[in-house]
Amino acid sequence: MENEPTGTSADVPAHSGDVPTARVTLLELFLLFSQLGLSSFGGAVSAWVHRAFVERRELIGEAEFAAALGLARIIPGANVVNLAVMLGHRLRGAAGAIAAGLGLILGPTLVAIALMIAYRRWGGSPGSRALLEGAAAASVGLLIAMGLAAGAYLIGIGTKSERDDVSSNRHHAPSFWSMIFFRKPVSTFRDHALWTWRNAANTALIGAVFILIGVLHFRMVPTVLVLTPASIALAYLFPLPRD
Amino acid sequence: MPADAKTLATLALVFAPLSLVSVGGGSSIIAEMQHQAVAVHHWTTQREFTDLFAIARAAPGPGMLLATLIGFITAGWLGAVVVTLAFFLPSSLLMYVTVSIFNRWRGSTWHRAIEAGLAPIAIGLILAGAFAVLTTEGSGVLAWVLALAVTVFRMWRPSLHPLVLIGLGAAVFVVAHTFA
Repeated sequence: MENEPTGTSADVPAHSGDVPTARVTLLELFLLFSQLGLSSFGGAVSAWVHRAFVERRELIGEAEFAAALGLARIIPGANVVNLAVMLGHRLRGAAGAIAAGLGLILGPTLVAIALMIAYRRWGGSPGSRALLEGAAAASVGLLIAMGLAAGAYLIGIGTKSERDDVSSNRHHAPSFWSMIFFRKPVSTFRDHALWTWRNAANTALIGAVFILIGVLHFRMVPTVLVLTPASIALAYLFPLPRD
Repeated sequence: MPADAKTLATLALVFAPLSLVSVGGGSSIIAEMQHQAVAVHHWTTQREFTDLFAIARAAPGPGMLLATLIGFITAGWLGAVVVTLAFFLPSSLLMYVTVSIFNRWRGSTWHRAIEAGLAPIAIGLILAGAFAVLTTEGSGVLAWVLALAVTVFRMWRPSLHPLVLIGLGAAVFVVAHTFA
């Protein structure tokens, strides 16, 4: 099992070539992702994928998995579906990508539709409505927590403890965001002057997106198409001493 | 629920672009999905949308099954298939194409800039999506209190399984409803 730290080296891992690419069949790939999709709740699928592919089966190395996670985040789309496409492609080519993606989506889709049919059938009772409203409110809380944890790191009040959570083999699944954002202790660059104003810029960007789209109901696509290039240009011109 | 060709085409035309702008994961486009499904196309009522959101989050797997459920409620099984393809296929194809050229990028200034630049946008979108759901007509003070309580608890005890919090939230509402 690979125990080297993840996300710290920018180059392609040396050991990735040593890993045979055909150690898993298409059916296995499909079933593995079906199982991952069906057994993970609360939007933390990628942590379970890591457990299965890196820790348990050792199908790909740590560094390569970290690269896959990063890319899955950059490309639009559900992060974990992107991750499935990439791992499937890496292990079994085009057919692997399809098998992995389908495996991940199919089972949960059927479960969700079954839940919905059950709700529409018995959902008339006030009790079941309260049940769903409560679940929805709690789910919103999970979303906010995910956003705040990522934002807190970005503007410098995150801690290292989340990172430690991720690297431990505890049974719980850390959030996707904590895996990505809590790679390094913030203190390594906390005092940097550049970092201070970039902090302010990032906070302003988060706030602008939140207020424009969430509060003022601007259309999302044009808003994102304007703000994202600005944000990337900022990161390009004034890169943080991070990696 | 008539699954006519026009409705299916509209579903595809709404969800395919959403697929390509959902930076930072699907939760970033909930606000836009709600706008399209409720205000623009009247596929669901506000209440139904909130319910679908809860069902999608309670079900296992990627959180973005919400899109599939909107397709199902609008145009049945065919609608579910059309939306699922429209929503997951474009981004997956983009991912697939990018995978083949990604290794040439890795470590470059542009790669890092894109990654760093997308982060604040994605965070803002996630918070906006949460706000959009909370400010809907159906949700009262209790929803706010519960959502914020879950937020605090989730950040305080990240090891607690999210489904426990969802279950507790549902229980609180049922109890509140029973004694209200």
